[in-house]
Amino acid sequence: MRTLVAKGLSVSARLAGQTVTVLRDLDFAIEPGKILGLVGESGAGKSMIGRVLARSLPSGFAVSGGSLAFSAADGKVSDLVAMDGADLAQLLGDRIAFIPQEPLTALNPLLTVRAQFGEHLARLGVPANDRDARMIEALTQVRLSGPQAVLERYPFQLSGGMCQRVLIAMAFASNPALVVADEPTTALDVSTQATIVQIMRGLQRDHATAMLFITHDLRLAARVCDEIAVLYAGEVVERGPARIISQDPQHPYTRALQAANPPLRGPLTRLVTLPDQMPGLSALANLKGCRFAPRCPTRDASCEVAPPELRLLAPGHWVRCAPTCAGFRPPAPPITRMSAQASGSEPVLVVDKVAKHYPGKRDWMGRRGRGVDAVQAASLSVRPGEFVGVVGESGSGKSTLAKLIMGLEAPTAGRILIDGHDVTAASTATRSIRLGALQMVFQDPQSALNPRRPVERLVTQTMEAARSGASDAERLARATALLAETGLPPELINRYPAQLSGGQKQRVNIARALCVTPRLLVADEIVSGLDVSVQAQILNLLLDLRTERGIGLVFISHDLAVVRYLCTRMLVMHQGLVVEEGETDAIFARPQHPYTRALLAAAPPDDLDSPWPPSGPAQATLGAMA
Amino acid sequence: MRPSPRAKAAWRRCLTNPRVVTGGVIIGLMAVVAVLAPWLAPHDPQEQDLLATLLPPMWLAGGEARFPFGTDTLGRCIASRLMYGARIALYVAVVAATGAMILGTLLAIVAAYFGGWVDWLISRAIEVWMAFPPVVLALILLVGMGADVNKVILAIIVIDWTRFCRVIRSEALVVMVRDYIAAAKLAGFSHRQIMLKEILPAVLPLVITMMSIEMGIAVIVEAIMSFVGLSVEPDVPAWGVMIADARQTMHQAPWGVVLPVGAIFLAVLAFNLLGDGLRRALDTRLVLGRAEAA
Repeated sequence: MRTLVAKGLSVSARLAGQTVTVLRDLDFAIEPGKILGLVGESGAGKSMIGRVLARSLPSGFAVSGGSLAFSAADGKVSDLVAMDGADLAQLLGDRIAFIPQEPLTALNPLLTVRAQFGEHLARLGVPANDRDARMIEALTQVRLSGPQAVLERYPFQLSGGMCQRVLIAMAFASNPALVVADEPTTALDVSTQATIVQIMRGLQRDHATAMLFITHDLRLAARVCDEIAVLYAGEVVERGPARIISQDPQHPYTRALQAANPPLRGPLTRLVTLPDQMPGLSALANLKGCRFAPRCPTRDASCEVAPPELRLLAPGHWVRCAPTCAGFRPPAPPITRMSAQASGSEPVLVVDKVAKHYPGKRDWMGRRGRGVDAVQAASLSVRPGEFVGVVGESGSGKSTLAKLIMGLEAPTAGRILIDGHDVTAASTATRSIRLGALQMVFQDPQSALNPRRPVERLVTQTMEAARSGASDAERLARATALLAETGLPPELINRYPAQLSGGQKQRVNIARALCVTPRLLVADEIVSGLDVSVQAQILNLLLDLRTERGIGLVFISHDLAVVRYLCTRMLVMHQGLVVEEGETDAIFARPQHPYTRALLAAAPPDDLDSPWPPSGPAQATLGAMA
Repeated sequence: MRPSPRAKAAWRRCLTNPRVVTGGVIIGLMAVVAVLAPWLAPHDPQEQDLLATLLPPMWLAGGEARFPFGTDTLGRCIASRLMYGARIALYVAVVAATGAMILGTLLAIVAAYFGGWVDWLISRAIEVWMAFPPVVLALILLVGMGADVNKVILAIIVIDWTRFCRVIRSEALVVMVRDYIAAAKLAGFSHRQIMLKEILPAVLPLVITMMSIEMGIAVIVEAIMSFVGLSVEPDVPAWGVMIADARQTMHQAPWGVVLPVGAIFLAVLAFNLLGDGLRRALDTRLVLGRAEAA
């Protein structure tokens, strides 16, 4: 018996007068006690499936074909697409439970955990005097220490990981037949992710629950799931056992996805990137054949005529691709992370025991509350052309460090030197020293690009500043050069941010920082919001910029694999302290500080035979921190 | 520079919004009448015809075609006086709302941008200001400064800048946390450049919306002030003056009061419709909310 069987499931949308097939002909099945991973980049339609289940498709979207058969424990089979809305509502939250992406927004901030969990249990028909015991049992199962106390808390008093555990406890409270988890760990830190995944898998195995695990992270899916379906532009391009899909994928897209992911172990080669990006909804209507064909390195004329059939390669391993292109692997030249001539020269930037203390708020008697030490005595130096990584989880003070370096915040102690000049104190002189040497690339291009400026005026913003006095012609010429340098097509020059894709926005963001030809870029989590394939494009762009311009980089990230790919040296920050510093390779090989060890252990390794999530001392360290 | 697609979309939303169109058309017509009053009005607004006092409008029994809306106690043409009265009303609406907008928006952006003690000072000033009942404050100001239509405008500006300042400040605070403000600082922008080129365009839709509503308020305030004789000279035709004059004979000739009240009502309704429509068309949160629902 299979819990959920999708057969030929299609979803169409009406867009500007024409009908677009958003999800095309999906087939998948989940057995009880198994986890099916739906892997895809943003826009692939992976969240659409959860919405079909919950019948909350955006207006204009409708299921246009196929079925979604759900078998409850009693053996009754019902089609979730065709069944009555009231009957479906009975199933949802009870037989079919959801674990959301944003744990903090999924809980009502005005109600205690007890109130919300209790309401859920009341809906499930648990008598009032049993509810407390049930809640405490459920919270104990998700390893929340002091469940009695957690019940009385409000969501904002809990960390993201704790909220997610409460939501997992609620999802499993009804012992559902199917759990849909939509990116359940994306909003969480790496170390929390490991714990959450472990808890989820434990509960799912104990209850023999079928699970649909929606994620963008192929590496995580490989660890978590039994079977993986890879989605591209609304189609399943490859489906099979998790081990095969992650180790030896056959579809060119799955391979590209795998090749775009920087590895955590082993030799580094240049990431292979695909051109362009996934077609948007409006572009789908014009794609008659294989939806991946325009970006496929192995396409031929036949690919563009008709969509390829799903072919069975091995038992349980299906691929939607023509038989001709099997075995193609793009060349991946090795990379050099540090140019030799740069290592000897004087540092561009020296940060000397810099600290930032935020004083607490005054109360009504004028007494100050306890402040926060966001950064405590952090030191680093960057030579020309050197890439230095700063790794830490949320709240580690890494973003504050970036702001201190850029002069957006004033340090409470320590010194910052650029080319030997002290720029710690803010003044006109220090500002102009900084402006010439340092620029920042911001994390979220949505927020960092003024939506009312076209690309040309965004990338040449520094030329608009009072002193420069550049003419319009000069600005246009500079903007054209910057677009070329960051790999953006010249026709984007008059576009506005809203008309650009995520990757293009991040390139504009980088182009703006390059306008004054700085020698050092400070990049704060600049790839964390991007899809893997776009991330690879941006990482390669940064490497090229170093080769061409000898630019240096302070790269702030939570992602160890990305830092390993780019940076020769790295710092590990934890609660405002630099706990470890050194050569990247040395730290990866022999981490000294327990926190670094725990962090390294928490990232899912590429080698599927090594155990993950970690157990033993590393797990204990993280458990204490989560 | 060609208009951004965002601006174009905003225009389209404005022009297809029934509230904006209705309000805009009424105000447009009023403005045309006010400007062309010397040519459109059948009589001089001060011209008295003592043989034809308290005539009813032409469509009622006893009305005359040469006085379309009838006459007042001194035999002056109500239609002509309404047309000239629109000049005062719209003049006050535009100048007072613009003044309050400039003062309020300027202080709001300065407060949000600099924060700290500047913000504290401006915010406390707003709180103190708003504690006064506005009409009483206006009366006190006008008694102190003397009666004049420009003093009325000054009083409206001095009182109502807080209305702009409070709302625009909170909107500007939202913009301040966006990274593009930090990026502008790193690009070497001066304080003035950041405030004018980055913050002001972001709060502009709200400013436009609030200005329209403020114009409606200014029309009412001017009518109240001229009713109590603190605005225009008694011989200048203003809607408030007309109501005050016709008050004595309200029972014999109700149209003398009803028509100027109707004019005020229409003007305020039009400004409020326009403001409400602009808010719906320009407020990004409302627009986005609808786009998500759609």
